[in-house]
This record gives sequence, structure tokens and C-alpha cells, in this order.
Amino acid sequence: MSLRACAEKLEADVLAAMRKPSAAWWIALFIAAGCFALGMGLWLYMMLTGMGVAGIRHPVGWGVFITDFVFWVGIAHSGTLISAVLFLFRAQFRSSFNRFAEAMTVFAVMTAGLFPLIHLGRGWLAYWLFPYPNDRLLWVNFRSPLLWDVFAVSTYFTISAIFFYVGLIPDLALVRRRTTGLRNWLYRLLAIGWTGTAPQWNHYNQLYLFLAALATPLVISVHSVVSWDFAMSIVPGWHTTIFAPYFVAGAIFSGTAMVITLAVPMRRILRLEPYITVDHIEKLSKLLLFTSLIVTYAYVVEIALAWYSGHAFETQHFSYRFFGDYAPLYAVMVFCNCILPLAIFWRRARRSLTFLFVMSIAVNIGMWLERFVIIVTALAKEYDPYSWGTYKPTYVEVGITLGSFGMFFMFFLLFTKLLPVVSITEIKERQRHEHESDAVAVRA
Amino acid sequence: MSTKATQWRFEREDEFLEKLRELRRQGVPARRLDVLMPIPVAGVEEVLELRPSPLRFFTLAGAVMGAVAGLAFILYTVHDWPLVTGGKPLVSIPPFVVVVFACTILLGGLASLLGFLHLSRMPAIPTIVAPLEHENYYVIRVQEEA
Repeated sequence: MSLRACAEKLEADVLAAMRKPSAAWWIALFIAAGCFALGMGLWLYMMLTGMGVAGIRHPVGWGVFITDFVFWVGIAHSGTLISAVLFLFRAQFRSSFNRFAEAMTVFAVMTAGLFPLIHLGRGWLAYWLFPYPNDRLLWVNFRSPLLWDVFAVSTYFTISAIFFYVGLIPDLALVRRRTTGLRNWLYRLLAIGWTGTAPQWNHYNQLYLFLAALATPLVISVHSVVSWDFAMSIVPGWHTTIFAPYFVAGAIFSGTAMVITLAVPMRRILRLEPYITVDHIEKLSKLLLFTSLIVTYAYVVEIALAWYSGHAFETQHFSYRFFGDYAPLYAVMVFCNCILPLAIFWRRARRSLTFLFVMSIAVNIGMWLERFVIIVTALAKEYDPYSWGTYKPTYVEVGITLGSFGMFFMFFLLFTKLLPVVSITEIKERQRHEHESDAVAVRA
Repeated sequence: MSTKATQWRFEREDEFLEKLRELRRQGVPARRLDVLMPIPVAGVEEVLELRPSPLRFFTLAGAVMGAVAGLAFILYTVHDWPLVTGGKPLVSIPPFVVVVFACTILLGGLASLLGFLHLSRMPAIPTIVAPLEHENYYVIRVQEEA
């Protein structure tokens, strides 16, 4: 088949996924939107009633809401890793995943961004976070990690959204050609007049490279800043220098797991098997294994540092983590994040999509538990035994967490019907590269 | 002023590039040549004598502006109401670096996007209203001079 025929088939296959939604899609959207509405309703209930309806109270002032915040920021990270870092490394397989991973990043940061507002209680005063002088002309404290978060997360959202949109421009022009009526006008406007002239490609390639170069240090910094929300305090279990790299690796780990969770059913439902192959998913699973090993190493070093410090409160904290009230959650976390991914060393396991799908869900559960265990166990037994306590989330926190998943999946489902879920232009480039390689092989 | 154009379209990238080179050899000036490509083709820039995109200057200017503006803003705020927190000096460089870094990336990224739109002349109303479609062909158009 000629390259042009391949390109036409690719366009037809990818755009077929955007056709009229099936009944299953509507049901999935209804469930996701329902969960989202439930979460929003509970948030409203909490605002009207007061924070007492949530389980967070002294000594555990940070609970499920902050766990959710860190979890969703983490999910966002692999999108940037796949789009920016793997682009700089010229990893060809990224083109199977980068589009929906970028979409995932944008939706996950949006979801994450809600949690500090939910956690504040009085959400309508969220603008207090922004740097402006208050009634007594006092400015915000730039030495506070919480303010760094405001800058880091808002920058991350902006850059991720720009990256997502810029990557879409050539594809929007393709969708424009294959749609009619009102949709055609929508894509005409979104494609902002892209025609693919030489100067446009010249500037576009530069832009993509620079955005990748800007996003790469950003992806590392954002989760480092999130980790400093904890590490800058003098709470045993939080106050450690390993937190930044440990959180970044964990974020990429959980994000990659989410990409696999989405890719496996999506390729089948949208019939994209020729473009998202088992080989591609296998490569992604190796990334999952690599980050799992880093996370495991971090778990070990964290314990070693506590032991080596000789600090009574640090060692007490870790013994509480292993044997205390939350020990079962810690055990599940270690199983999901450290032991289960080791199966990827086995070729049959990493080529089994069913196994990878189940494992990716387990990793997401494990990574959510990791954040929960870090946050809650450290606060539950800090220094003074007089103020020790435990924490249990209430139905409001569970419902709002469910709502966050509803929000994420609702946006993702809408994305699958409104935009091309894989990057058509980049896969065309990959096909050209494969054709050239084949031609060289034939000549040899 | 150009009035009409002669057009060729190719399925294959190598034939397209060869024709483009041939036209240049025949003395057609680069400014009269328009190409439309479904994916970028290496070598076209050379044939059309396109200089490397000046987008990098937009990125650099945005990033420098972000860093300077971010730092200046923080320094202004800490001196405007000099409140010592945590026994730290008013000008605490390490924590400020985090915010300055975020501002550098933010303005660098925004300036890059705006620079791209400016250099590529987008959004382009004429091609939004009447898009030029090339259906996965590589197209060469020679603008005839009146």
C-alpha cells in the first residue's frame, strides 16, 4: 500500500472513532456525569453545612482531599512525560499515546485543581491564594510551599493546555476536511487556518520543540513542589530530602498506569489496534517497571534514612506505618506498587493486555494508597502522644473522590468523540519512517 | 502581484522534492513557490531558502521577561510590607527560585505560542473561511507574476 493510501486509511480509522456515539458510550457518559454531579452536590452540602461533615479534624487535618490532589497531579505527569520527554528522546512509540495522554494531563490537572478549593472549606475565598495585598496591605508569603503550588500547578495547567492544543492543530485541519455543517465550522475555527505550508511547518516544529523543552523541567518541578508541601514541614515521615525525586517517579509511575488503563479498552472499542499495538503497550509497560523500581528504591531509602537518623520520632513513625492502624493499607500499597509490577520482567505478562490492564488498575489503587498512607500516618502520630489520633474518611469525602473520577472520565469520554484520540500527523510521520526503514532493508 | 498559479501534486515525497529542486534549477525564485505538505519534509527549507525560524527569540524574550518580572514582583512585595517569617531573611533566594522558575516557563511558553501565531500569520481568516485542502498530497504551486 502506498504511503498516501496508508495515510487515508489512518485518517478514516481514527476519525471513525469520532462518529455517532454508541449506546455504551452514552451509558458510560451518564455514569461518569452522575458521579461528577454527586461529587459536586456533596461539595455544596459541605460548604452549606461546614467542614465537620468531612472526617478531617485534629490531629489529621489533611486527609482524602489532599490525597486526591496529589493523586490527580501525579496522573497528569505521564502525559507530559510521553509528549515532551519521549519527544526529546525521539521515542517513536510515543505517537500511539501522546494525544490521549496529553488530554489526560489537562483533565487530571483540572480535577486536581479542584481539591485545594474543596479542602479550603470556604471555596468562594479561593482567590486569597493569588498574590495580591490583603486589607492590611500584607502580601502573600513567597516562602510558603503552598504558594509555590499555586504557581507550579497553574503554570503546569497552562503549558499542558498549550501543548495539547498545538499538537492538535494539524489534525484539526484534517478533521475539518472530513466533516460537514456546524461541526465543519467548529473545526475550521479551531484549526485557525492551518494549511501546512513550508513556513508554517518550519515555525510549528520549532514551537513543538521549545514547548517540549519547557515542559520537561516543568514536569519534574511540579511534583517536586507538591512533595515540598510535605517535606518542608518538620513532621516525621515527611521531612526528608528524598521526597522530590520520590514523588516525581511515583507520579510518572501512576500516570503511566493510567495511560495503560485507558489505552487497553480504548484501542479495542475504537478499533485502533493497528496504531496502538501490543508492542507499543509493551514499551510503555517497561516504563512502568522502571518507575516501579525507582519507587521501590525510594520506599527502602526512606526507611533506611529514618533508621540511620537515630531520631526517635522518625523511627516511631515508620514502625507505626508498618504495624499501626493503617498497616493493611501499607501492605496493599507495597504489593501493588513494588511486587505486582515485577511480573513485567516476564515477557508473557508484559504482552498480555488483560494482565497489564488489571495491573495498571492495581497500581493506581496502590499509588492512591501511597499518598493516603504518607499523609495520614504522619499526622495521626506526630510528636506529642497527647494529641495522637486516627482518621477515617466520611461518605462526603468518599463521594467527592468518586465525583473526581466522574469528572475525569466524563471529560475523557467527551474528548474521544470530539477530537482525534491519536495524533494522525505524528503517526503519518512514523509510517513514513517505517516505510523508509523497510525500503533500506529491501535494498540491503 | 500574483494573479494565477500553476499547480502540481504528488503522492510521493521524493518526487515532490525532486520537482521542487527542478523548478529552482529552472530559475523559479523561491518567493514564487508555495508548498502544502501533510507532514513536514526534510530538505524543503533548503530548497525554498527558508531561514531557521526566529521563534526562538520569542521564547527567549518570554522566558527572560518571566524570570525578571517574577523576581522583581517578589522583591517588591517583600519590601513593600517587610514581614519576617520563620526567621528567614527578607530576600530568601532559594524559595523565590521556585516561583521565578514557574514564571520563566509560563511566560516562555505563552510567548512561544504568540510568536508562532504571529510568524505563521494565524489565525488566518481567508483560510478559515475557505480552507486550502491537499488531501495527503504534496502540492507545489508556482505563482505567476502579472
